This record gives sequence, C-alpha cells and structure tokens, in this order.
Amino acid sequence: MRPATLLLCLALAPACVKGNPIELDGDLLTEGGTLRIDGCGYDLTTRYGAEAPRPGTAVFGPDPTPRHVHLGIMGDPKTSVVAQWRTKDDKTLASEIRYAKGASLPAADLVEEKAGIVFAYRSTGAEEIRVHQAHLCGLEPGTSYSYQVGGTDLDGAKSYSPVYTFRTAPDTVAHPDSEVVFGFVGDSRGGYDVWQLLIDELSDRQPDLILFSGDAVTIGLTQYEWEEFFDRAEPLFARVPLVSAHGNHEVNAVNYFSQIALPGDQENFGVDYGFAHITVGNDTPDDISKLAGEFKDKIAADMAKSNSARWKLFMHHQPMFSASTRHGPSQTLQDAWLPLVDQYKIDLVLNGHDHDYEISRPMINKQVQATNDNATVFVVAGGAGAELYDNGSDYWTLYSEKTYNAAVIRVRRDQMTMEAFRHDGTQIPQGFSKSKP
Amino acid sequence: MTRLAVALLVLVARIASADPEADADAAFKRAGQLAVSGDPATVNTAIAAYEQLGSARPITRWTDDAWAEAARLAEFSRDYARARRALEQVLEIGTDDRLVARARAALARIEEEGGPAFDAVRAEHERLASEIYGTDDDPTAALTALGALVEQNPTYPRANAARLALALGWEAEGDRGEAMRWFRAAAEAGRRERGQHARLEYVRALTRAADLAEAETELAALDPTLVDSAGARQAAEKLETAYQRRRLRIGLGIALLVIGIGALALARRDLGSWRALGAKLIRPPIEVWFLLPLALLLSLVALPGNPLIARAVRWIGVAGVVIAWLSGTTLEAARAKAPVSARRALTHGLVVVGCVAAAVYLVVAYVGLLDLLEETWRGGPAMD
Repeated sequence: MRPATLLLCLALAPACVKGNPIELDGDLLTEGGTLRIDGCGYDLTTRYGAEAPRPGTAVFGPDPTPRHVHLGIMGDPKTSVVAQWRTKDDKTLASEIRYAKGASLPAADLVEEKAGIVFAYRSTGAEEIRVHQAHLCGLEPGTSYSYQVGGTDLDGAKSYSPVYTFRTAPDTVAHPDSEVVFGFVGDSRGGYDVWQLLIDELSDRQPDLILFSGDAVTIGLTQYEWEEFFDRAEPLFARVPLVSAHGNHEVNAVNYFSQIALPGDQENFGVDYGFAHITVGNDTPDDISKLAGEFKDKIAADMAKSNSARWKLFMHHQPMFSASTRHGPSQTLQDAWLPLVDQYKIDLVLNGHDHDYEISRPMINKQVQATNDNATVFVVAGGAGAELYDNGSDYWTLYSEKTYNAAVIRVRRDQMTMEAFRHDGTQIPQGFSKSKP
Repeated sequence: MTRLAVALLVLVARIASADPEADADAAFKRAGQLAVSGDPATVNTAIAAYEQLGSARPITRWTDDAWAEAARLAEFSRDYARARRALEQVLEIGTDDRLVARARAALARIEEEGGPAFDAVRAEHERLASEIYGTDDDPTAALTALGALVEQNPTYPRANAARLALALGWEAEGDRGEAMRWFRAAAEAGRRERGQHARLEYVRALTRAADLAEAETELAALDPTLVDSAGARQAAEKLETAYQRRRLRIGLGIALLVIGIGALALARRDLGSWRALGAKLIRPPIEVWFLLPLALLLSLVALPGNPLIARAVRWIGVAGVVIAWLSGTTLEAARAKAPVSARRALTHGLVVVGCVAAAVYLVVAYVGLLDLLEETWRGGPAMD
C-alpha cells in the first residue's frame, strides 16, 4: 500500500476494506473467493484483499515450520473444529492435519490425516501472509483429540507443529451435568506483556472456549501486532477455540477475517456451546447505517433461532452501558440493539472497548431490576493489555474497577457464573451468578 | 398394627423406587440456587450442601460436579483448605476427565501460590488488593497494610504481584516516592515474565511522571533476553512521544509568553504609559463581553459529560478569555493612536489564531486528552 493510501486508511479505516483503495502489486490475486468444505456442510469465504482458498500442495518454502497454531469454529462445535496456522516462511503450500482421538497422544499415534487449505492475503503493502486451515468435521461430542499441523513436500520431507490437544463441545442431552467454561477477554491491543499474563491466568483455569470481545491490535491492517497477539496466545489458542467479536481497531481489515475462522459471515453469527448460545455482533461496520439495518436483522434472526437456548449471551465490542469516563455508554447501540436484548431476554451481554472492568445491575429497557430473573447484566471487560481508562459509576453500575482483567464464565444447565480476575491473578470481588429453575 | 404395616410397606416401596440420579439432580439444583445468592452465609450453606451431595452414596453423575462446585465457591470465599479438600475429592472420584483436568489445574494454582503455609497470607492479599483496586475510599491504609504483608512474607510466591499493586496504588495516590520504590522492587524480583512486566510498568510510570531521563536509563538497562519486543517498543515510543510533547509544550509556552509580553509592550507604546495600559486593562474589551458568557455556557453544557472534556472546555474558555482580553486591549490601544491598517489587522488576527491553537494544544495536553485524540485519529471515532 502506498503511503498516501495508508494515510487515507488510517483516517477512514472502514472504507479501506470494502471500498477497495488497496493497491496490489505482483501476481497475487486478492479478490477473495469461496470454497466448499467437504464433509462439513459449510463454505469458506475469503475477503477482498485475500486469495481464494484452495487445497494445499506439496511444496515447502525456505522454512515450513508451523507457527501461530490456533483453533476456530465454523460449524457445530460438538462435532467440528478448524485448526489454523501459518509457516515461518509464509511461502509453504503443503498443508495437512494429523489427528486421533485421545488426549496428549504421541505424534506416532496420530493416524488420521486430512488435507488443509491455503490462501494468502496482502497486509500493509507488499507483505504476503499465507494462512493454512484444516477443517475437522464428524468428530465425537465431548471428546479429546490430539493433533498436529504442518505438511509433507514432494521429497517426503515433513514439518509439523508440536502435538496439541483440543476437546469438542459436550452433548448436553447425553450429559446433563456438563459444565462448559468460557474465557472472556478483550482489548489486548498494544499491551502484549499484560496479554501474556492474562493468557497464563486463563490457561490455569482450563477454559473450553475463548470469547474475545475485540481490539486485538491497534490497527487491524498492520501485521506486526497480530504476530505478537498470536505468538503470546498460541499455548492457549492451540488447545481452545477462539470466538471473536470485531472491534473498532480491527477496522474490518482482511487480516482479521483471514486469521480468525468464525461461522457465517464472521461478523454477525451465533454459536451453541454446552447449554449456552452466544450471539456475536460487529458494532463497527464499514457502513454505520448497517447497525440498525442489515446487522440488526442478522442478530435478531440468530436470537430468534436460539430463543429456546437455556442460557443466552451476546458479545460485541462497544458497550451499551459503561460508566468509564473514556467512551461511556453507546446511545447508538442502545437504540439499535437494546430492544433485541430485552425482547430475547439475553442473560449476559459481553463487551470491551472501555479499558476497565464494570458489571451492571440487572436491567430491562434501561431500568434497573431488583433481581436478574428475565433481566440482562452487562459486563465490560476490556482490560487485556491496552492502556487502562478511568472507571466510573452510573445508575446501572454494580461494580467497576480500573484494572487489567479477564473472566471465566461457567455454564451449567441450571446456573451460570462469571468470575473476573486481574492480571496478577487476584480475584475481582464482583462477578455474576444466576440460576434457573 | 395394620396401619403400621402399611406405612412400613409404603416406606420400603418408596426407598426401593428412589432414583438416586434424580434425587442428586434435584439436590444439585437446590445447592446451585443457594450458591448464586451472593450472601456469604448462604454461600457457605451452599458449599455445605454441595459437600453433602458429594459425600452421599451411591455415586451419581452429580457427585464430582458437587465437589467441583464446592471447591469453586470455597476458593472464591478464600477458604483455600476447604477448596483443596474438595478438589482432592474430584480427583479421587475421577469420572469426568474435564472436571479432573480443571481440578488438577486449580490445585496446582493453589499450590503454586504457596500451599497451606500461605493460605492466610493469600486471603489477606486478596482482601487488600480488592480494597486498593476496587473501592473509592482512601486506600492508604490498605496500601500500608499490603506493604507490611509483603515485607513480612518475602517468600510468598505472589509477592511480586502485590508489589506491583502497591506501586500502582501509591502512584494513583500521588505518592511518587513510594510508587517508584515498589516499582523498583517489583522490577528487581519476580518470575521471568512478571519481572519483565514489572520493569516495563516502571518505565511507563516514569514516563507518566515525566521523569523522562530516568525512564530512558531504565529502558536502556532492560535485560535484552527479557525484553518484550512489543512492550519495550511501545514503551520506547511512548517515551519518545513524551519527549516530543515536552519540547512542543515548552516551545508553545515560551511563544505564548513572548507574544503576551510583546502585546503588552505594544499596547503600552500605543497608550504612552504603563499606567494608561493598566487603566485600559481593567475595563474588559468588547471581545471579552462577547466571549465570556459563551465560555460560561459551553463550560456548563460540558459539565455533565466526560469529565476530561469538561475540564478541557473550562480551561479553553479561560485561555480564550485571556487571549481575547489581551487582543482586544491591544487593538483598542492601537486604534486610540491611529486607524488600524488592514495589514496590521490581518497580522493581529493570524497571531491570535496561532495563540488560540497553541493554548488549545496546551490545555488538551494538560488535561490528558492527547492520547484520546490520537487514538480517535488512528482507530476511528467511537460512535458516541
């Protein structure tokens, strides 16, 4: 990208992605494209700025060592997972996953193999980033699998990652005592030493799924921060799938959509995991009018479809209710999305954007309720490393604290709890708990 | 006799038909309803209910879940011995590998944090940390108590986390000496990554405190093998930005001062004496009468919003009135001597615009809004 274009992007970031001011040199075709994923029942679509996805071929670049191994979800998390990685050279095209049922198996026992998919995208100029994905479907619910990713070239040379273990989501019909644990965190941008500490703290709590509320990096188009983000998180993200909401600092960049495998259009979608349904929304669209239009319709459709879910969570980046003195509450989002939260009786709304911790009292239609029956609690936990903002207090605030933080949300059939903690491991005294008859 | 026999038969039939799974399910649900109350006494009852369900036999699918919940609540209630006992039960029953893995991790965490020997220290650390981070009350007493706790227990595995909390806490209280003492102590101790984090926090704190020379020294002294590439790079960038902003602030401050003195000297020349200038300055020029109510109104409108912006509006209003006062007085003095030429009026206008821009920058920097403006420029505006 030329300097003038980059400046334009910084000033008018959302326009950079779909408005096509990105100029590309060389022979990389970056119009995006779609590939049907056999056996999974869904398509993989890449964005403008990235190549069309295609099967890997047995070609190694100068250093085919896998890195940034991380998991995502595009299908049913009970039976599928997406492993995603890059290689050190960004040139290697050989792409494959080896796996087997069982935790922490030796590499020799990974007897199942599946070919991977590759596509490259252009970032901040001529930099070419190549992404590998392997889609595993038809897995057994509530089951641990060991896997490693990498490839084999035409000469038979192999280059694979260490072996990692992941676990599929439980089948709650067969196992009504299932507990799932979500790590909830956001706003790591620019603070990767704290991000590292929180990753360690989250790992200690053994989550099943990571819910990231956006703003992983300062500017989504610049790759070097993504390197830091994934470098630090690999020990956790290679074991636990990541579900992310798009933050304003991701600026709808191709880097974000290429590196994080998510269901549907990657912006507004839903995931069923254990007894919970998580609706995710992009509250920084390239066209702001979509908030109350197309995006609202998609979110409403997902909430309607999942209305019978036992527990309902809604994650997006910018809080409807925040007493922080930095950004504060978003009236725009209250107007656009709050009616849906009330209509579908969402239990917990998860946000970031303000770099502090805040939990609201139970609310219906902006009114504080005496109990959290049928009411919604709003959580801001945007303290994963970005410079902290002053917290505050408003009529809805139950508790707030200016601190680096993350949380774990434990979901069982009849109760859901959230415990927040600081980057030094100490507990934040006010969490969330709710039971249902 | 017949009645007794019937009652016994009914009782036997009930016992025979009891469904331990269903009973355990119901008991788990009841305990869960107690657990979410938030009231410490009720939570304690919930822990006991979970422990009772965990101890009941036969083992059901809810047995290990009950112990896991008892452990979770006990740890949150800072009763680490009770949490440890419950976690050991989960490991012993071991029917759910996911629960077992979590129990093992929780036990490791509790042991890593010092084991039984440090249970009381950890509970006190948690309590004091919440007082320091989480209340609006004066945290000085909690900070002093936590400092004493750390000094009495130097081998406490989480002492470094406590040192950082102390540093940040004292910094927030404006006690720079204590803050820097604890930042230094944290930077020189601790586990690899936490020590590194502490050193970077120290550099950031020095930058915030405008002790840029020492920040530079500390940054240069970071162990290259421990340097967090992104963190160190960002700390260096912040430091460079702080230097640039300081130079700009000093430059603009001197420029405003020189222009102010120059304006007064000019007005004195036009009016003929300092006494005449003093008499002129006492009566606010028309520009001030126009701007003052406007500045007051804007300050009042900004008051309920973001406090940083409210403060900025207030100080920009003050700066605007001062500039308008000087500008008006200078112009009136010039007009008193001779008609003001278009060239001079234009020059005067440009200087005033420059002064206003400089004053706005200084105010925005003073109230700490520069970073917000930069973030808005780089990341796009928030929607509100």
